[in-house]
Amino acid sequence: MKGLRAGLFILLCMTVQVVKAEAELADVDIPDTPEAVQRGAETAVNTCLACHNLKFLKYGDLSQLGFTDKQLDDLRSGKGLKETLKTDMDPTMLREGFGLLPPDLSLMAKAREGGPRYIYSLLTGFYQKADGSVDNHVFPGVKMPDVLNYSDAKDPAQRAAIEEQARDAAAFLAWAADPHAAERYQLGYYVLAYLAVLTLLLYLSKRRIWARLH
Amino acid sequence: MANRVIAWIDQRFPLSAFIKNELTDYPTPRNLSYWWNFGFLAGFMLVLQIVSGVFLAMHYKPDVSLAFDSVQHIMREVNYGWLLRYMHAVGASAFFIVIYIHMARTLYYGSFRAPRELMWWSGQALLLLLMATAFMGYLLPWGQMSYWGAQVITSLFRATPWVGDHLVLWLRGDYVVGDATLNRFFALHYLVPFFIVGMVLIHLVALHHVKSSNPSGINLAAKDNIPFHPYFTAKDFFGLGVFLIVFCGFVFFKPEFFMEPVNNVPANPLQTPAHIEPEWYFLPFYAILRAIPDKLGGVVAMVLSIMIFAAMPYLDRSKLPGGARFRPIYRISFYIFIADVAVLSYVGAHPPGGVLAEVGRVATFLYFAVFLLLPLVSKKEEAWLRARGLPSELEALVAGEDDKAGGRR
Repeated sequence: MKGLRAGLFILLCMTVQVVKAEAELADVDIPDTPEAVQRGAETAVNTCLACHNLKFLKYGDLSQLGFTDKQLDDLRSGKGLKETLKTDMDPTMLREGFGLLPPDLSLMAKAREGGPRYIYSLLTGFYQKADGSVDNHVFPGVKMPDVLNYSDAKDPAQRAAIEEQARDAAAFLAWAADPHAAERYQLGYYVLAYLAVLTLLLYLSKRRIWARLH
Repeated sequence: MANRVIAWIDQRFPLSAFIKNELTDYPTPRNLSYWWNFGFLAGFMLVLQIVSGVFLAMHYKPDVSLAFDSVQHIMREVNYGWLLRYMHAVGASAFFIVIYIHMARTLYYGSFRAPRELMWWSGQALLLLLMATAFMGYLLPWGQMSYWGAQVITSLFRATPWVGDHLVLWLRGDYVVGDATLNRFFALHYLVPFFIVGMVLIHLVALHHVKSSNPSGINLAAKDNIPFHPYFTAKDFFGLGVFLIVFCGFVFFKPEFFMEPVNNVPANPLQTPAHIEPEWYFLPFYAILRAIPDKLGGVVAMVLSIMIFAAMPYLDRSKLPGGARFRPIYRISFYIFIADVAVLSYVGAHPPGGVLAEVGRVATFLYFAVFLLLPLVSKKEEAWLRARGLPSELEALVAGEDDKAGGRR
């Protein structure tokens, strides 16, 4: 990102563009299908929310993901639609357990270089060291435990299932960080189409007006 | 009825005369290229930033415990709040791109030369005001980079001899960047744009007095001027259309392109980010700051690197018109300067040390060398070009200019 931004400036200046290689994140396509995001929401609420908050989201917001009322009721298990997605864990307990408060996840997909790919890479970055302890490739020494048990999974089918779960969780967090993205793209196409026609007309009228000079 | 209303106004206020003299019939050189569109675009960006900013201010809360969340409130709950905020955030970068191109055009075509020094200097004042506004605005989202950027940049004032510590305290309103800082930056971020509007008016009054420069670099005869309307209104609006397509491309499809991911983490005074860097439009000057090993020296070099533009009318000693067009050496030094700024931006975006530190020092030296050698270079170049014989096109332009000067005498 950094290289790209400096690169834009450099491009502007008509010289070479510089692209910096991103950190060793997994090269993975994060899905954006409604099913994937829904599955990711379930993982987030049932697993991530054990310790993390998503304080900028309310349970009611999840209805935008296409859940039926029944599914949503199961998901929020008694929580009100206007309640924010917060962990039931006591903050002092969390602080005692981990030494710090687990970060809020509402913006996590925008708060790290690589975004959703970072989240996927972190979740599937856990591995067992020679001494049996667990560490993470992406974030060595991370306080978070291997919640999806990736470091334990040996069976390829089991690993693939966990990878899919991690992809879906990343997809959900991408939505959570930018819930208006779909609306923005849709509006964007109309705006650009409108501007393209307008600019063409402006060009033609400019040409016609300037033709008077010759 | 309408005519009578206008006649009534015209008796009391020069409305029709103003529109006629300054807009519809305002004489403009017919040979202006599309590089002359960027002044209009800068004016458009100023209006867009003020309008979107006023609406953002209706929902934003300048309080350290609320600021970050209120931005998320704008992004999520406010109707089209995401559009307002992305227009404003992308708009800041777009504003600088437009202004830098506008400046590059002025440098290339020598538009800063007599009699346009006051335009150039009011432009310099506008650049400083714009930088101050952008810097203060960047604190408002209260993310990690907002906080640490403000912390680092305000601490630069500590280098001021004798009063440094007091000055920093006075700027921040506290010993560290905090609630007092955020509140005053918000107030000033709202205020300074109106100073910019005032300075733009001065810029425009000066422009309409000396009239636009043009690619040939000399004042054209009356027959080469055409009325601003409809010719340049049509051209400016077409340019605006092209600009808006690119601008909206970023707003709708890559709105966070110019943003730093770490700024989506709320400000935390206890945790310094791995790498603090300013917004891209400050990178060349930031690289110059870091290139000088001495703190005070670095700050002085950075201030000089921005202020040295003001000296251009005196540094350029050549009497040949046409900016870089007819001046091969000046043209080369222009491109060296642009490339050097690009290198400095790259250096500024990366952690200091190693080869880049050396590159930064050489680029800083080159930056000032281009300016400081210009008096010598421009004189030698003129002598060389005259000895070699001016191109016939230029000879005609110079002769035309001499005739007019002779006629006036």
